[in-house]
Amino acid sequence: MSLVARALAISYKDVESYYGKPPLVTWGLLFPAVLILAVYLKDRAGYLAVAPGIIGMTLLFGNTSMAAIVITFEKRSGTLERLLLAPLTARTIVLGKALSAAAYGIATAAVLTLGLAALLGLPLARPGVFALGLVLGAGMFSLMGIIASVLVKEVFEAMTLMNFFRFPLLFVSGVFMPLSQMPDWVKPVAYISPLTHVVELLRLGASGEAYFSSPWLPLGVSVVFLAASCVVAGPAFRRYATR
Amino acid sequence: MRQDEQEAQIAVRVGGLRKSYGAVVALAGVSFDVRRGRVFAYLGPNGAGKTTTINILCGLLGRDGGEVSILGRDVAHDPVFVKSRIGVVTENSNLYPELRCRRNLQYVGQLYGLPRAEGRSRAAELIEGFGLAEKADQPFGALSRGMKRRLTVAAALVHRPKVLFLDEPTTGLDVPSAKSLRGLIRRIVGGGTTVFLTTRNLFEAEELADDVAVLIGGRIVARGSVAEIKGCVGRARSVSVRFSGPVDADILKSACPAIRSAKLQDGYWRLDVADLHEALGQVVAFCRREGLRVDEVGTREPTLEDAFVSLLTENAQANRRDES
Repeated sequence: MSLVARALAISYKDVESYYGKPPLVTWGLLFPAVLILAVYLKDRAGYLAVAPGIIGMTLLFGNTSMAAIVITFEKRSGTLERLLLAPLTARTIVLGKALSAAAYGIATAAVLTLGLAALLGLPLARPGVFALGLVLGAGMFSLMGIIASVLVKEVFEAMTLMNFFRFPLLFVSGVFMPLSQMPDWVKPVAYISPLTHVVELLRLGASGEAYFSSPWLPLGVSVVFLAASCVVAGPAFRRYATR
Repeated sequence: MRQDEQEAQIAVRVGGLRKSYGAVVALAGVSFDVRRGRVFAYLGPNGAGKTTTINILCGLLGRDGGEVSILGRDVAHDPVFVKSRIGVVTENSNLYPELRCRRNLQYVGQLYGLPRAEGRSRAAELIEGFGLAEKADQPFGALSRGMKRRLTVAAALVHRPKVLFLDEPTTGLDVPSAKSLRGLIRRIVGGGTTVFLTTRNLFEAEELADDVAVLIGGRIVARGSVAEIKGCVGRARSVSVRFSGPVDADILKSACPAIRSAKLQDGYWRLDVADLHEALGQVVAFCRREGLRVDEVGTREPTLEDAFVSLLTENAQANRRDES
């Protein structure tokens, strides 16, 4: 059985144990749906500009939180030790954990998007670009959640650590306000935020229009962030998860 | 026996193992060998460094120095090789509470790379063999503590390990569950698996172990077969005496210097004596002086517990001498 097959076994087990549970599914759907509905009721025309940003924000919070909660929970219950005692490399464990968290994020965001398309007329001008945004965002945010969770012991510590980055990212990444309307001094910060590029891909995928007219730049930057997260997550897990 | 044949008989080899947590020295140059197909009991008081040793051997923890090999390979250099050949039962029963018992074992099989069909048949075989057939489709979290422990041991055997590490396997179990688990451990050893056992239950160690190492304060203070370790207490014996009248413990001990400790239990004085011949002479002289008679007397061989307590006492005395 290859290491990839073992990573898939870890993922499947996590979906069975955690991500497939009704409370998590409803939490992943209800929170962004209610937020988008509130924006829609206030400004039916303007909601289209905000909905992709909220879907991106849901990916950021959902994936980083779930990946971190699962790892810290397993640390506490001793089941993470079982993975560490098995003949698996750190990369295999990280891949397994990230795949399940990413699958959860992609599935909830996809259901939300399809629901919005059916009920509120959310367009999907370039569905391939939208799907790439979901996949890249879910992957990198899951890996970031894993990195944060191995650095700490408790769930609240992981959340505190991640909120230190997540909340500032919300304000600089064009979630609620398009990049074109941001002050010039914020833009350089926005360009180095991974969330900016995920939101840009989702916006391009939904309406066909975004700050970057072509998907190549946000796509390239998102791939670089995903690759960087992959490179960091394996050694971080090996070093800190076995302390 | 040639040297390479002797080497082949060693399942676990530890040489000069050192580990510190900041300024606290957990292991100060620990060395021992575990022979294949034997039960090795690694004994020590709380905080002696037993779990640290197991964690290093299993690749959960790095070491500061020394050598460690399992089946000839160093877990730090070849973790996948070593981990695929060892099974570990940690102090806590760490399976997945929400998964059914059968699914837990199948999942562990997947982690160890068993093909799906083999994993299923192995899970069924272990569930049957460990007397858990009725609970196979119940979630692990719904089992009693004893059954959880059995399934945790079964999970460590899914991939047929050559060496099994058992960290306090019967802690917290009631008497029938602990006895049943000891029976299972004997069966595992009968199948040729080497067992590395840490336990605070010295009766259990005496019942199961072939070889013993006693770890105190991060150092091995005694090592050998169970009989050799018991020999550490020298000529000491436990003596049980019934006197014809009441006796004061302090007066008895001061009159009989060969008595290390004296405890009254169910009308009998349980005496821990350094030298049997000397102690009996002193007791008889004490009775004559006090106008008492010895109504009953009996002795028993020292147990592993006696030896362990004796080693702890000697170690504490040596530390006091060093400090003064």
